[in-house]
Amino acid sequence: MRQRIFVLTLLACAFIPLQAEVPSLVAIQDARIVTVSGAVIEKGTVVLKDGIIADVGPSAAVPAGAWVVDGKGLTVYPGLIDAFSTWGLPEAPVQVSAAGGRGAQASATPGQTAPPRSRGPEDRPGTNSWVMAADLVKNTERRVTLAHGGGFTTAVTFPRQGLVGGHGAVVNLGGETSGAMIVEPDAGLYMSTTPSGYLGYPNSLMGVLAYFRQLWIDANYYKMAKEMYAKSPQTIPRPAYDRALEGVLSTKRVLLPAAGPVQMERMVKLGKELQTSVVLWGVTEGYRMADELKKSGTPVVLNVKWPTRERDRDPDLIDTMKVLEHRDKAPTAPIVLAKAGVKFAVSSDGLDAPKDILKALKKSIDMGLPKEAAIRALTLSAAEIYGVDQRMGSIDKGKMANLVVVKGDLFDERLTIAMIFVDGVKYLPPPDPPQTPGGNAGGNRPSTVDQEEN
Amino acid sequence: MRSRGLLGIILAASVYAGANDTMLIRNATVHPVSGPKQENVSVLVVDGKIAEVGAKIATKGKIKIVEGKGLHVYPGMIDSGSPVGMSEISSVRETTDTGELGDFNPQLRALIAVNPESEHIPVVRANGITSVMVLPGSMGGRGGGGGSIISGQVSMIHLDGWTWEEMEIKRDAALQLVWPAIASRGRGATDDDLPPALAARRMTFAQAKRNQEEEVRKLKEFVEAARRYQKAKAGKEPGLKPDLKFEAMLPVLDGKRPIMVLASREREIREAVDWAERERLKIVLANVREPGKMTEELARKKIPVILGSPFTTPIDDDAAYDEPFTLAALLNKAGVKIAFASFGTQFARNLPYEAGQSVAFGLPYDEALKSVTLNAAEIWGVADQYGSIEPGKWADLVVTDGDLLEVKTNVKMMFIKGAPVDLESKHTKLYKKYLARP
Amino acid sequence: MRTILLGLLTLVGLSAQNTVVIQNGIIHTVTKGTITGSVVIVNGKITEVGEKVMTPAGAKIVDASGKHVIPGIIDCHTHIAVDAINEGSVSVSSMVGVDDVVNNERMDIYRALAGGVTTANVLHGSANAIGGRNVVLKMRWGKDADGLVFKEAKPGLKMALGENPKRQGMQTTGFGAQAGQQNLRYPGTRMGVEDVIREAFTNAKEYQKEWKDYEAKKARGEMALPPRRDLQLETLVEVLEGKRLVHAHCYRADEILMLLRVSQEFGFKIATLQHVLEGYKVAKEIAAAGVGASTFSDWWSYKVEAYDAIPYNAAVLQKKGVLVSLNSDDAGGAELMRRLNTEAGKIMKYGGVTEDEALAMITINPAKQLGIDQYVGSIEAGKQADLVIYDKDPLSIFSKVEKVFIDGQQYFDRDGDMSARPRKEAEKKGLLEKEKETERRNAPQTRRPS
Repeated sequence: MRQRIFVLTLLACAFIPLQAEVPSLVAIQDARIVTVSGAVIEKGTVVLKDGIIADVGPSAAVPAGAWVVDGKGLTVYPGLIDAFSTWGLPEAPVQVSAAGGRGAQASATPGQTAPPRSRGPEDRPGTNSWVMAADLVKNTERRVTLAHGGGFTTAVTFPRQGLVGGHGAVVNLGGETSGAMIVEPDAGLYMSTTPSGYLGYPNSLMGVLAYFRQLWIDANYYKMAKEMYAKSPQTIPRPAYDRALEGVLSTKRVLLPAAGPVQMERMVKLGKELQTSVVLWGVTEGYRMADELKKSGTPVVLNVKWPTRERDRDPDLIDTMKVLEHRDKAPTAPIVLAKAGVKFAVSSDGLDAPKDILKALKKSIDMGLPKEAAIRALTLSAAEIYGVDQRMGSIDKGKMANLVVVKGDLFDERLTIAMIFVDGVKYLPPPDPPQTPGGNAGGNRPSTVDQEEN
Repeated sequence: MRSRGLLGIILAASVYAGANDTMLIRNATVHPVSGPKQENVSVLVVDGKIAEVGAKIATKGKIKIVEGKGLHVYPGMIDSGSPVGMSEISSVRETTDTGELGDFNPQLRALIAVNPESEHIPVVRANGITSVMVLPGSMGGRGGGGGSIISGQVSMIHLDGWTWEEMEIKRDAALQLVWPAIASRGRGATDDDLPPALAARRMTFAQAKRNQEEEVRKLKEFVEAARRYQKAKAGKEPGLKPDLKFEAMLPVLDGKRPIMVLASREREIREAVDWAERERLKIVLANVREPGKMTEELARKKIPVILGSPFTTPIDDDAAYDEPFTLAALLNKAGVKIAFASFGTQFARNLPYEAGQSVAFGLPYDEALKSVTLNAAEIWGVADQYGSIEPGKWADLVVTDGDLLEVKTNVKMMFIKGAPVDLESKHTKLYKKYLARP
Repeated sequence: MRTILLGLLTLVGLSAQNTVVIQNGIIHTVTKGTITGSVVIVNGKITEVGEKVMTPAGAKIVDASGKHVIPGIIDCHTHIAVDAINEGSVSVSSMVGVDDVVNNERMDIYRALAGGVTTANVLHGSANAIGGRNVVLKMRWGKDADGLVFKEAKPGLKMALGENPKRQGMQTTGFGAQAGQQNLRYPGTRMGVEDVIREAFTNAKEYQKEWKDYEAKKARGEMALPPRRDLQLETLVEVLEGKRLVHAHCYRADEILMLLRVSQEFGFKIATLQHVLEGYKVAKEIAAAGVGASTFSDWWSYKVEAYDAIPYNAAVLQKKGVLVSLNSDDAGGAELMRRLNTEAGKIMKYGGVTEDEALAMITINPAKQLGIDQYVGSIEAGKQADLVIYDKDPLSIFSKVEKVFIDGQQYFDRDGDMSARPRKEAEKKGLLEKEKETERRNAPQTRRPS
């Protein structure tokens, strides 16, 4: 395993751009431009300058000194965004302590003795709210480059250890330094409701929900105590610094798991209770959730690993209608959500290779999803959900020079990526991996709603 | 009965009148099961056997009279499969004697492990159940086996007696076999429905199928070996060493003794039926739950079916809410002979309600009554002596104040081989004791 | 299928007028005798019950001639319609609640409904001495989780005594032994169970006092930091203040008596003793404490503490002045819930209660135990129109449910259920064929050489 990673890393390195000469001025001329924010420009030019889109339009001029790409036969899209990812994070699980704040305990490392079972909420098992993906992302991580193969320039990457995994970051998939990759260091707090793996509390779904509730109560209490102490240090005892609660208090939004309507109702209610905005992840039954999502204004990240019939199965055991319907309708989720005007993005969670996300969406397109809606979910909608749409997600003057340039169309049967640009830097896609090591398979475990965490 | 002349009755009465043990239950509503119910008739019991049923039974001399006015008389009910007497507290292994180790145990006899002092026995009989087929093995079930393939000999017992010998009706009434099932997963379950740890441990279908095929292969091999033994014995092969397991198989191989095969789903039922046919065995299917397309075949081949309790949840979310309640009616309509079993101890006394519930959901009433009496006696080969109220049969009788299958009905009296049976139990004793607590 | 079913319900809902009259049935009011007559329902509530009623113009008529009408059955102890039952990691889990994990799509709701159950008390499991919060649901199949909640019901808390809560603290048990388990959880004995309860309520009293002290300081205008809100103790304080009902799982007479005394010591009330299979031994004490009992009809011998269980329990308790209900304890599927009516019928046999007393055990008695008897539990003017129509005597094994109404709306109809079956089957067959067809179409592509 280790050896294979090593080899792959070498392979990946081979496609890192020639650092010696990175042009600061590039023009892609006479290409088809899918701006996403506006109409498609059938023949036009995009100018990139110092990592920013300097100009775009049918008659945008190619500035003097620009490196020119002949865009004939090419289509330029905004760089694709994986809206719920672990790309950029080291693949070995991040070792963070199993408990935070008061009663913090040593982490459970395989082979070592397990931590004493937690006695209750005061132990805060699995709360890693101080962990920042932005601190952990590495530009050398192999999946950063592999992601280019699917046309991805950006991932919203979350640390996923524990019930509260930590703060995600909007990460550009390329950069001279790891820090240079970070577009937005706080994209939201990752939360999971799957409790298994702990010796003690909480070990049930309802335990987890009660646990979250108490965590927020404690955080708000901590905030109040700090404020009162600041006002009156003589009479109010000084509250002990608590990184877990600090991490909760700094939360912009929380990412909560919801496969279908049942979990959605639960999570939207929880979000209201915690008085924080919610993004739902791991959504697989989006086709049944449109009205309610629209009503509550909750954005979602769709899981586009469409369910299929299990190959190794008892032929005499016929699936229930619910399962059959789910398999039949799952790929219509983007159609239904787009029609209802629900804000949704997509994630490659559980897929073998990054570009499988495009194949998955192609299936929805074949079933009636407007191509524009598919592209929007991959770009601008994701940017909007995480509040970075002023800077990325479409091909507009002034936005980040994140582009994917494709021969033909993004949803062609065989995707041929000519090049991608991350922060104006050109990258070539990696060759198809020999097996299926890309995406989220392996490494930082794929995370679906019902899967075991930590 | 009615066709018999008055002379016959008088003759009979005069013959029996002087006997030591003569009893007349008079003026009751009698449900013979073998025929239509008769109101305001009497049952004459002589030496433990039913001598006569009729409106006018002349008697003289000393005779025990049981007033049956307003009461109903039924044959005692037969539970076609239960560990009653062999298991006391189901969750405590030490109190349970079913489920021996080893794959093939035809030599084991349930009868000898029946505890006559089990508190379950009086509790169960108080609801009108006089006989039970006591099972030596576990139930197998839809998820697949566990335990033996051949569990041992099922014994038919009376729920009364000082010793198991006295309780015995037929010690080797049948051989219990749990047909190996493919145990990959439950119906309708997806990985998402299972806890991750369980999902990971779940066998693939291919694996489960291989395991099942291996089990079936072992079974066939065992039966083949028994056949060789049978031949060797018939041919008086010199030097043949006696083998208890094979000896126990002989009456089954001869097709004389029924083999009770627990097979719940269509696939297992088909395999079991095909196998039994090839081996020319007398098969009785038990714990049938999803017979599917095999239903017609069971009827055609006259293979009887022992049904477990309908008080269970439907097989999956798509099944009708009343699916378990309608199974008996479905089989009956197709022409399959059915009998009910409790397949357990704590609810064994609810046997009549298993039949009653099936009536509410389409099983003709008369068939329901048969399914807990005469059908069972026929299936287990004791119909010449039990199962209905007919002259010549043992007087296993239940006297009630209402419909036998109705939950509200009280059993007022019970007779086993004509002798009155105590209806008190641990339950009635504790009831009286604490009702009287000051 | 679900969509079709939901569609069907919507249709029924749309076509239902605000006024419904159930006509000429044998009406078992439970509290006011049995009459042959009619029930008038307006806007989900019963407005009139009688032999002769005024049928409002345009009312929807449900002919119940020869049929029996009873109040909707109330099951005082279930674990249906939820995605979690136990938070068994700790001995006191009063911070959690099944109200957080209601799953309105679970088929057990519909099946319970088909058995005439209109209201179910959904309880936390019995893995710990003090369990979690309950939720009382109406079986409004088709509504979302929030739409199932019986809003007027008083909140409750589960407690548990005996074998279950001590199992995780035992070195060995019977089947499914925990033997050799490293992390034994206190308590492992009935003594320990009492200790856990006493300690928890001692802590709750301390917590209550902390808040009172703080309120007093605040009232005096002093600057003070309030105590930290603790959800675990907050729930227990609600119990101490009588705002939350206790439903306690118990078996043996000794532990029942223990809990009665502990509750008296700490000054809280037990609403129901659940299972309470040896309740008949201490019926006098239970009656004197004014505590309800919710039991099984004829369960026994499935574990050691159920070995002295008798089917006469309900009748003895009732005769000695205890308010008794019968429950199913169904989890992961509605089984017994579909036939609580005949469970009640059994009590007529085991102990000789009357028909009305038997029916009360599954209607008005559990309603009282859950604090909802002003809304449901009998057929009386002013109550919510939760009604069940049976084809025959509802206490008979030969009867079955034909229609179920909740809040005056028909949620179950046996004829409708049966006539929808062929269509559902066809729909499923269609989907199966469609999938097979798709797989056939895609098959060559997946085998394409690379």
